[in-house]
Amino acid sequence: MRLRHPMERGVAELVLAGAPARGPRPARRPYRTWALAYAFVAPTVVLTVLFSLVPLAMLLWRSLYSGGVFDLAPEFVGLDNYARMLAEGGGHALGVTGVYTAGFIVLTMGAGLVLALLLNSGAPGVARLRAPFVIPLVVPVVATALIWANMFAPQFGLVNRLLSAVHLPQADFLSSPGLALVAVLTFGAWQFFGQNVVLYVAALKSVPRDVLDAASVDGAGAWRRFAHVQWPMMRRHTLLIWVVTTLTGLQTFTQIYVLTQGGPDGATQTALYYVYNEGFVQFDTGRANAMGVALFLLSLLITVTQIWLLGRVDRAR
Amino acid sequence: MRASLIARRSVVYLLLGLAVLIVAFPLVWMAVSALKTDAEIINPAAPLWPRDPQWSNIGRALAQAPFGRWFLNTAIFGVAATAGQLASGLLAGYAFALLDFPAKRLLFMVALSGLMVPFSAIIVPMSQLLGDLGWLNTYQGLIVPNIASALGAFLFRQFFLGTPRELGEAARIDGASELRVFFEVYAPLARPVVAALAIILFLQNWNNFLFPLIVVNTTEMAVLSQGLSVFQSQFTTQYNLIMAASLITIVPVLLVAVAAQRHIIEGITLGALD
Repeated sequence: MRLRHPMERGVAELVLAGAPARGPRPARRPYRTWALAYAFVAPTVVLTVLFSLVPLAMLLWRSLYSGGVFDLAPEFVGLDNYARMLAEGGGHALGVTGVYTAGFIVLTMGAGLVLALLLNSGAPGVARLRAPFVIPLVVPVVATALIWANMFAPQFGLVNRLLSAVHLPQADFLSSPGLALVAVLTFGAWQFFGQNVVLYVAALKSVPRDVLDAASVDGAGAWRRFAHVQWPMMRRHTLLIWVVTTLTGLQTFTQIYVLTQGGPDGATQTALYYVYNEGFVQFDTGRANAMGVALFLLSLLITVTQIWLLGRVDRAR
Repeated sequence: MRASLIARRSVVYLLLGLAVLIVAFPLVWMAVSALKTDAEIINPAAPLWPRDPQWSNIGRALAQAPFGRWFLNTAIFGVAATAGQLASGLLAGYAFALLDFPAKRLLFMVALSGLMVPFSAIIVPMSQLLGDLGWLNTYQGLIVPNIASALGAFLFRQFFLGTPRELGEAARIDGASELRVFFEVYAPLARPVVAALAIILFLQNWNNFLFPLIVVNTTEMAVLSQGLSVFQSQFTTQYNLIMAASLITIVPVLLVAVAAQRHIIEGITLGALD
């Protein structure tokens, strides 16, 4: 459900919250309390070091060495892997990822906001309609990807049947370089937008009722209440939603794996698919690691931007 | 005024109805495609609704691949990883919030650093590491690397920071050990957070595709999503069977999702905005 990745959520929140202040030492049996505390934090700390920090160090280190699975004596090659990665498909993959992510943000945040406003409009019964939007998010992506592959299929697929019903030319969406990314993006947005509906509904609920009522009393219509009250008061939420959406878009994989395998001719090869393909299909781990580092730096950049913007939003209050 | 309200509400219902239709239609398409005959499914002129629903397609799909085994693998992975994430997060969150110990600040930073390293960036070294450990194609290889949950530790810490310290002090004065203070005083308070997180983490583990993909490459250790993708590559043109197989994997999740929708919505909000 690409709730994607709660592991990457709210990073700025966490950093801004800062580390716990060191409190006064407990007076009674401090050593036994310490032992218990270390035992309690040990699983999280040890496993984070072993399965996040160690692989990250391996990634950074090995991205500077020649490598392939069959390369028994890796040599230091400096930034050569990066140069090869960018020249041999990686630069293109980063471009595809950028286009995909931009489209993904616009579609899912736009649809999320509009639908949240509709759900929040106070029309009888609509508040309960939030639940259906969660469904695409929680069912297995491989299964829904197969459904969309079927709908995009030539001739008997639903989309082509609709096209011929209205006398438009048919197309082989997933095999056409121009249309494949649009098809993958359509599916990706369908799969994820429910999350932004849920989050924007929560954001709208956080706007105090009396502020909205006061605006109504002053004669503000629905649009002005949105533009001058709700939207500015949701800036913090919008920022957090943007971060989650961007990180999800950047790491799009399963959609591509099932629908196009990066094809046709690299048209849907995203950064993460590139890492997978180089690392596990072509066995060029040098290029794969270089792109892994690029992905790490991109998500770090988004996190840093988030922290910076959150700081500005909070100071503006 | 009244007429404009009715007009506005009609637009609201119309747009929401359209959106629900867009969400639901692919699932309906899956169900009707799964029930078509081999001839109907590839006939562009066949009616959308199958003339004679082929319920046997579901049995045919099930017979073609070890779905039972894949289901079991996914359940073992989903339950164990979720339990591990909840337990490790609960313990660490409690210690970081309510216990004092040397190097707390540093260890908290280490625990949170997991959030800065997206799994997708490290898939290649991760698979090499698990290979070195001899953990490829094993349950521990699937489960153990997923147990540390920075988000869980953070959310539980936030929760415990909001609980009164006096509760623990009172129990300690009554002679309770530190372990009892945790298990009998504080841990039960966290039940609502556990409920909201449990379902969302479970669904995430259940649907995880990329992680099993780099850890498992045998049919008997595959999870459902992987198995489904293998099934698709073997029966590329048997679209009705592929849709029947998708149906098999979607329905159990759909039932869980409908039953637990309130917790799911809470969990999504908790993870992203709080």
